[in-house]
Parts: sequence; C-alpha cells; structure tokens
Amino acid sequence: MEKEKKAKWIVIHSPALLIALIVNQFFIISANADVFLWPIPQSISWGAGPPITISSHLRITFPRHRDLHRAVVYYRKLMLSEKWLPVQVSAKPTSPTATVAAANYSLTWLQIKVRDISADLQHGVDESYSLNVPDQGSRAKLEAMTVWGVIRGLETLTQLIRMPSGKSKGEPIIEHGVSIHDKPKFAHRGLLLDTSRNFYAVNDILRTIRALGHNKMNVFHWHITDSQSFPLSLASEPLLAAKGSYGEGFIYSNKDVAKIVRYGRTFGVRVIPEIDAPGHTASWAAAYPEIVVCNNQFWVPPGVDRFANEPTPGQLNPLNPKTYEVFKNVVDDVASMFPDTFFHAGADEIILGCWKNSTDIQKFLKENHTMDEILTRFINTSRSFFTSHNKTTVYWADVITSTEAKVDPTLLPPSSTILQNWNGGSEKTKSLVQKGYRVIASDVDWFYLDCGFGNWLSNNTNLDQDFNNDPNNTYNWAPQGKGAGTGGSWCAPFKSWSRIYDHDITAGMTSEEAKLVIGGEVCLWSEQSDGVVVDSRLWPRTAALGESMWSGNRNEEGRKRSGEATDRMNDWRFRLLRRGIGAEPLQPLWCLKHSHQCDFEQTF
Amino acid sequence: MEKKATWLVIHPSALLIAFILKQFLINSTNADVFLWPIPQSISWGIGPPIIISSNLNISSPRQMDLNRAVVYYRELILSEKWLPVQASANPTSLPSTEAATNYSLNLIQIKVEDISADLQYGVNESYSLIVPDQGGTATLETVTIWGAIRGLETFSQLIRVPSGKSEGESIIEHGVAIHDEPKFAHRGLLLDTSRNFYPVKDILRTIRALGHNKMNVFHWHITDSQSFPLSLASEPLLAAKGSYGERYIYSQKDVAKIVRYGRSFGVRIVPEIDTPGHTASWGVAYPEIVVCNNQFWVPPGVAWVDRFANEPGPGQLNPLNPKTYEVYKNVVDDLANMFPDTFFHAGGDEIKAGCWKNSTDIQKFLQENHTLDEALTRFINTTRSFLTSHNKTTVYWADVITSTVAKVDPSLLPPSSTILQNWDAGSEGTKSLVQKGYPVIASDVDWFYLDCGFGNWMTNNTNLDQDFNDDPGNTFNWAPQGRGAGTGGSWCAPYKSWSRIYDHDITANMTSEEAKLVIGAEVSLWGEQADGAVVDSRLWPRTAALGESMWSGNRDAEGRKRSGEANDRMNDWRFRLLGRGIAAEPLQPLWCLKNPHQCDFVQ
Repeated sequence: MEKEKKAKWIVIHSPALLIALIVNQFFIISANADVFLWPIPQSISWGAGPPITISSHLRITFPRHRDLHRAVVYYRKLMLSEKWLPVQVSAKPTSPTATVAAANYSLTWLQIKVRDISADLQHGVDESYSLNVPDQGSRAKLEAMTVWGVIRGLETLTQLIRMPSGKSKGEPIIEHGVSIHDKPKFAHRGLLLDTSRNFYAVNDILRTIRALGHNKMNVFHWHITDSQSFPLSLASEPLLAAKGSYGEGFIYSNKDVAKIVRYGRTFGVRVIPEIDAPGHTASWAAAYPEIVVCNNQFWVPPGVDRFANEPTPGQLNPLNPKTYEVFKNVVDDVASMFPDTFFHAGADEIILGCWKNSTDIQKFLKENHTMDEILTRFINTSRSFFTSHNKTTVYWADVITSTEAKVDPTLLPPSSTILQNWNGGSEKTKSLVQKGYRVIASDVDWFYLDCGFGNWLSNNTNLDQDFNNDPNNTYNWAPQGKGAGTGGSWCAPFKSWSRIYDHDITAGMTSEEAKLVIGGEVCLWSEQSDGVVVDSRLWPRTAALGESMWSGNRNEEGRKRSGEATDRMNDWRFRLLRRGIGAEPLQPLWCLKHSHQCDFEQTF
Repeated sequence: MEKKATWLVIHPSALLIAFILKQFLINSTNADVFLWPIPQSISWGIGPPIIISSNLNISSPRQMDLNRAVVYYRELILSEKWLPVQASANPTSLPSTEAATNYSLNLIQIKVEDISADLQYGVNESYSLIVPDQGGTATLETVTIWGAIRGLETFSQLIRVPSGKSEGESIIEHGVAIHDEPKFAHRGLLLDTSRNFYPVKDILRTIRALGHNKMNVFHWHITDSQSFPLSLASEPLLAAKGSYGERYIYSQKDVAKIVRYGRSFGVRIVPEIDTPGHTASWGVAYPEIVVCNNQFWVPPGVAWVDRFANEPGPGQLNPLNPKTYEVYKNVVDDLANMFPDTFFHAGGDEIKAGCWKNSTDIQKFLQENHTLDEALTRFINTTRSFLTSHNKTTVYWADVITSTVAKVDPSLLPPSSTILQNWDAGSEGTKSLVQKGYPVIASDVDWFYLDCGFGNWMTNNTNLDQDFNDDPGNTFNWAPQGRGAGTGGSWCAPYKSWSRIYDHDITANMTSEEAKLVIGAEVSLWGEQADGAVVDSRLWPRTAALGESMWSGNRDAEGRKRSGEANDRMNDWRFRLLGRGIAAEPLQPLWCLKNPHQCDFVQ
C-alpha cells in the first residue's frame, strides 16, 4: 500500500527576516555538543559513535498523502537550513561523548513508514512514532501508525540536528546514532486564541499554528467571535461580519479558513472553532439588533447590575425565534468550514443583569419561569444544530455549574459533550469527570496567558490616589506604601512558564477519573494583545504546556521537573526565535552561560 | 545664515510593522487631531483645511543636529499620511466653516534665538508654532535648537490625511497657534543593557521614540554583574572577557553614533557604570578586584539576609584593593570622553553585606573595628574625585546615603554636584532627599518600573511542586481558597499600566520649594526578562505615559488626575507609534477605540 514518492522541494517556510536578524547575534556562544529537545521524548537511547553528517542531498521517502507531503517538504528544508548552534550551555552533556574518530558517516536517506495512511486528524488519533538513526548514518527510519505520528517524528528529527560546536557554517550533524520511541501523555494539547477582542492577521494565525506543531501540540482552539467583533465571513449570514467586524480588513474569508485548516493539517494541528453563545454576542447585533439584548449601553450603567464582565454588553435573546434562525445558519456554515468533529459552543458567563434588561425576558420571568429555563431553551434548541452535523459539542463548564443560569446535565449526554473548565482548578475538573464528562483543563490560575498586564479599562478614578491601604482596591493597593495587589488585572499574576509547566491537571483524581481529562489548553484572551505582541505573549510559555501535556511534568521519582527542564527550555526559546517565532526572553543570557546558577534553589 | 537642508532619508523603514498597521488605516470617522504629549497651550483657527505642499521647505539656521532633525521630520511630515484609528466623541479641533480652498503650506521658517545652547540638563525646550489660517509660511520660534526639535515633533503630529482618505495630500485641519514648554526638565528612560543585550539599532529606535514623546534622557545602564558590554580603549579586557561575546559589545563608534542620534532628537545620553555593587562582570578580566563572585548567589546554608546578591550572579568591587581604583579610574576617564553629557551616573545601589563579608580582606578590615559604611565611604570618596575632575555632575541611587547595609555621610556628597535617584521610597522618600538639599530624579519601582509583573524568572523553584498554597508569604503560587493571587514571584509586581504611570505624582505632598528640586523622572526597564525581541512592547506605549506627565503634567484644569481624559489620545498614539516603526503593545480591544469612553471604568 505504501507508494513511495520523491517530494519536490518547494519552499513553504515563511521568511522571518526581522527575527532572524535578532537571533543572528546568538550564534557564536555554544561551547559543547548538547542536544536540547522539546518536548522531551518518552524514550531516547543514544549510540556512542561519531557525529553523523546530514547530507545536503538527504532523500526522504514517504507514502503518498497530501498533508504528509507538505510536512515533509517543510521539515526537510528546516533540517538543511536551520544550522542550529545551541545558545544554552549545559552542565551535563545531554548525549554521551562520542569515542570520536571523525568518520565520514552521513545520513542520506530518511525512510518513512506509516501503518494506517487513512487515519484522519481527529481527537485521539495515534501520534506515536519510532525514529531510528543508525550509528553509521546512511538510512534513518521513521515509523508510525498514522501520518500524524510521522509529523511528530519529523519535528523530533529537526531538533536532533545541529551544527558542530563552534561552527556556524558547513553541514549540520546528528551527534550519534539514536533510537527514539515516543507518544503523547494527553490526547488534547491546545491553545485558545481570541480573535474578537482584537484581530489577528491570517499570517499571525498560520505562524502560531506552525509554532504549535514545533511543540507537538495538536489543537488550535479558535475563539472566533465575541461581543467586540464578529470577524468571520459566512455565506448564509454575510451581514454578521459585514456589520459586526472591525471593518473590511478585519474579516476572515472562507478562503482564509480553508487555508488555516489546511496549514493546521500540515503540522498535525486540529482547528476547533468556537462560536460563543448565548453570552458574548453583542457583535451579532450590528446586523441583527432584534436578537440581542442589553447592547448599546454602558457596560455598568450607574446604579444598575452590570450587563457584562467587560465592555461591551450583549447576549442573544433565547425567546426570539429569529435568534435560532440566525444561529442555525451560523452553525451550518461553520460546521462545513471546519472538518474537526469538535465544535465549541461557548455558553459561558451569562450575566443576569443583561437578560433582565430585556422586556421580553422580564415578562417571561414574571410568568414564573427561571433563568435556568431560558438558558435551557437556548441550549436544547441549538444543540441539535451541532449534533445534526455529527459534531461533539464542547461547552465551558459554566453551562452546568453557573449560579446565574445553568442547564441540567441530563440534557448534555457525556457521549457527545465535552466540558472545558476555566476556573476552580483540578478540584472542579474532578467534579466534572465524576459526572462522566470528558474535560479539557484550562484553568485561569495556571493557563491564562493574558493575565497580569494590569487593568485595561480607562478612566479609573481609583488612580487619583497614588496608593491606598485597602487590599480590596487592587488597582493601587500599597500596604506600607509598597506596591502590591493585582494592578487591576482580574486574573493576576502573570503565569510564568514554570507555573504552567508544573501544574497538574489531574491532581487528586483516581486513575479512572484522570482518564476522562483529555488534556489542557492555554488561553490568550485578547483584550490586551494583537498581532504586534502575539508571539511574545504566547511563546515560550505555550511550549511549557506542550511538554507537560506530551511528556508529563514529573521526573522518574515523581517530582515536578520544571527545574530540570530549564536548560532545554532556555535553548528552545532561542530556537523558536530562529524559527521566526518572536518568543520572549526568560532570563539574563548569563543564566544560559552558567547552567543552573540562576536557580531559586541549588540542587543541580 | 539660513540653509536649506538636503533631504536625506534617515527614517528607518519598518516594513513588518507597517504591514501590521496597514489594516487599521481604513477606520477613521472624523477629523480629529490627537497630540502626545498635549501642548501647554493650543489655539485653533476655524478656517478650512490647509494642504501640506509636497514641496514643503523647512528653513532653519545652520546647526548640525537641527539640520539632521529637519531632514528627518520633513520626510516624516510628507510620508506619514496619518489617518487616526481612534474615533472621538468630541472633536478635538473646531469644525471649519468648510469652503474648500486652495490654501497650502509651503514653508516652515525656524527661528532660534540662541543657536549655541548645548543639549544639557535644564536647556530651554520651549517653542512657539504658528500656522496661519491661510497657510503659506508657518513659523517655529524658539530659544534653542532643542526647542525647535520639540516644535517639529508637534508639527508632525498636527498633520493627517483628510477623513476617509489614505492617499493624497496631507493636511492641517486649521491654522493653529501653539505655545509649549516642559513641566519637568528631566524626562527619561533607563535601559539596562547588561542582563540582556540590545543591538545598536534597538537603542537608536528607542531614542527616536523618546524624541516622539518629547522625552530628553536616555539613561543607559550599561554595565552590571551579568555582562560588561562596553568596549573601552584603556580597559579593553573588561568587555573582551566580561561581555556575552564578540557580538555583544558596544564599540566606541557605536557609542558615538548613539550620542549623535540622540542629539538629532534632543535626547541626552546619560551613562551609568554601576559600582561598587553590580560588578561581577568585571571579575572575568580582573578577578582580584571583585569579591564573592563565581559562587551560587544564595549558597545553601547561607541565610537569606546574608545572600551574596539580590539575584544571580553575585560580585562586588573590593574597595580595599588599590587595583580596583586603577581600573575604575581608567573606566571613568574613557567614559567621560565618550559621553558629552555633564551627568554621569555612578550607581552606588544595593550593596550586599553578605558579599563583602565573603572577602577575607574585608573580614580583616571589619575585625579591625571598621564598618561597612567606612568601606563604602572609602570607595565613594576616592571614585567621586575621578568624576568631578571631568566636571561631571554625579548621579547616585539614593541608597548611597539611605541604605541600612552600607551608606556614606551626606556631607561627603555636596548637592551642588550630586543628584540622587530614588527608586524605592515613593514621593515620601523623594521628599526626604530634597529636604537634604539634593536634586532628585524620581523612578519609583511601584509606578515606574516597566519590568515588573512578569513572574519569577528563576528556575528550579520548588515552591511550584505544589499547585497552590494558602501561605500569603509564598507569593509564587499563593491561592487563597484555591483562587490565584499574589505576585507570581515578581519581586515588584504588579505590572505598571500606562494609567498607573500617568497618574503618579512625583512631587506629592511637597512644598513648592521642595518640588522644585525634583528635576524629573525616569521609567526603567531592567533587563532580566527583556531583550531586543520584546523591547518595543515592554517600553511602549507605557513610556509615553511618563512623557506626557513630565512634559504636560497629569492634571486637568480643575486639578484632577486626567488619565481618563487622555485615553483617546493615548489610544491613537499607540497606533501612530506603530506606524512610526515602534512595536507598541495594544491597550484595549479595538472596539474601545471605535466606541469612545465605552471602555471606561467609571462612566
């Protein structure tokens, strides 16, 4: 069944001149022959032979498959052009020292074998791979169950390749032969990006997806719409974007979406759309004012229960039949644009003040109905739109846990429902899996990447005082005149990579319970980010989740290992820069040159 | 003596950012003009828009720096084609009695009273800019060329393209008369190039951005314990061995370029060589003059209070070794020549007793009934004469007289040639310093440190072995009731938002006499978690908030804090900085710019 095919070496590697320029200066610092892998494979066993040169004529043979073909083209080019020289100096070499007798061993052929070429990129697909580079080079073998496993193995192979110490020109090498057997710990390893509060150009999304691939992450959770803008062009509902987006240059076309989905497949990254409803929908009203309530008003009118957690308010009206007409058109279109079987339907943060602002809803409540009934009507009606497309619906856990409005869990069968938990930690995740649901962990206290950048609302009169002694005034609380508090960021502090890395999403669970936790996502809500800063907000922190979800975050003795991972993480930040991802710095460069001297505790 | 400048392009291209920005150019809805920092006095005419002639000439007296500035600003004025992103609830200029005419502006005539006034602390930066209702010739009159550069900046911000157009000729909405001058003389930014390195072009871009914000000081914290990136003729080994490597060194040519570029934008370059603490990097070339280096920063068994440094890696100059002063004098002599500014920042902060006590020399000295105060005093006394011999005004961190670990007696530091910079005691601390007679630069960590709030950057933090804990003393992952809180381990959390910076009063509770000694302020970007990859978004637009509070003040006509009022201007300015190649971070959802004041905290 395996027709081998020589790829044509088309260049699809996106140029990143600016960042390449930034990283250029870092090439001369390497001192030894370490190999830093991220995420670390489950099993790696090095040979002890001399370095193997990567032939510039490296041949890669692989079964015919469109996505795999694209991946092979991309990764071959990366292997030959990256010429990585580590920035990190390691205390202990990461691979054994070769009994160096410089030989002419060279790797000329990478042979890829796939057992089941037809397995699609969907939740739970097998991503395991085995990679074997013989001590004498020549032919390496990459074997996997699926093409998606092969793509993971190609990524690992690129990371094994580096320049010999002290050289920035010439041919790259692999230090020794090596044998790797690898597979992910969690099936769902994702990033949520919110493209409604601020817009991201398609290029930014493609680059982000590529970076996910470099970290063996497999889910791009696309929070497409929200109250601030509706940036998705839909064939059946063209007015939503035409009127609800930030303008002509701020809309994703059908073609854009197809490109993003296709690009995701090249890197084994599923693209899961989210259309958040019935809350977070003010932007729908620009086209259809009649289906949205409480919009076009200040978000916390003086003397009133707030309409939303932030500007701007607006929720769909579940009592208006027109709401469902529009919503069904939206779901039908989105379902056909995104091949993934997961469809995220939102349902978080219903704010009662908003619905109560509607005379329709006021009347309904007076007839002895409840808010729960209102939400239930919406979820019940709209859910069939998803299931008719055979979609597994994902909701924020609020849908069954909110104290403002919730539905009865019996209406959401675990077989076709997944819940995403964003607050309450692993305790809450545990309570959800105990109800039988599969759960995605994305708790704000560890996984929200937008936290800690201060309060973004303007005209904050709390700042009229330089500081105050009231701990509840978090904007400028300064006990004894020393700054403290959150600076007004609702979810401060900033989540550092090690905090993300060391978080256990299945803490306190039985192994049966833990099985229902399908994985985690870090989230970038975009009130304070856009294309200008997206790389530094996401990277390398998202990589921390990449490793904890793929490799796990504990060492052989069961202890948390962000400390052990430091050298690899530091080098990886610079390698991401080299790959055109504007990742932020983590430490003074001094720390990379003095391994483990910047530790908090001296244990290495 | 007037001279037509030749129109060289020195505006650095910023393709990437221009690309990002392009999408925003179609959004404008009305004809507002957003200025930053807001001039002290502005009075608009009510005539029709005046077209900026594509043959605009700028005549100016012959002066090298001014001529460079004129070249830069003419290019900016003609090429920027700004269309505001921010929609405004109230138009910022009056509507014209619109009768489209052919008024156009052909000439800006710059008149400078005192062409010789140098760019030094306190130089007059005031300017008057008049654009007549009928266009023709605009006049920019100033006392010094440095005021003219400020006026050119203002002029560039007045220029925009008509609403709904992104091409064609730029306009000024109406004639206008502006009289402007700064509230504070010292308006600066500190950049630390030792913890992480910044290429020269990052520094140049940062200086240009300072100029756009009418800021006038680039406080260059050149060296620290982590690296010594400055090449010195008399002490070449310091950088050769103490830098991060060959490509991480500022050459003398680089410095000259930076100083010259600063003058084009009226930005003084004030160098800092921090001593006697923060000097581990000197120990690579001269191990004999540095103590406690090459050790873990808090060795196991050493109490926290006796730690060698506040962060890795430790190292302080040995004030008892004569060789220390040999090297130090060479360093100062070289720097004094490289930097024409009369200010020289000599550091003097964060002496750690644990480090000095790690030295047998100093242990012996203490056993002989000497004190650490004496050790520091010996160092400051000796080194200060090196600086004053070059007629430098020495700037020290206030620690030098306030530290509880080691301090000198203020009588040794005469206020006539000493300035203190206060980083950790708020306006109360500033007040106590001016009461001693010192001119003070305010740069308090709680409002002005731009590196705060990015979590703890140290590795192997075993506190994180627990997902969270209930101990408020454990700030790394304190989570009362399981909800996150605390600082995330950032020693100076929270992050300082632009409005927090803007609304801070550096002269709070002072008499007007005391307040006069507060010469200005600086925001500071310490480099542990920043480098060239993120420098623009760490600095901008937050540094602009200080730019306005120091130039224009931060209170409205009724004396109330006005970050709320400034919001529309700040929002547009962020995007205009993007257009000018400065990758400033976003402040709010774009929705807020399209719906003015709907994102306010209080309506």
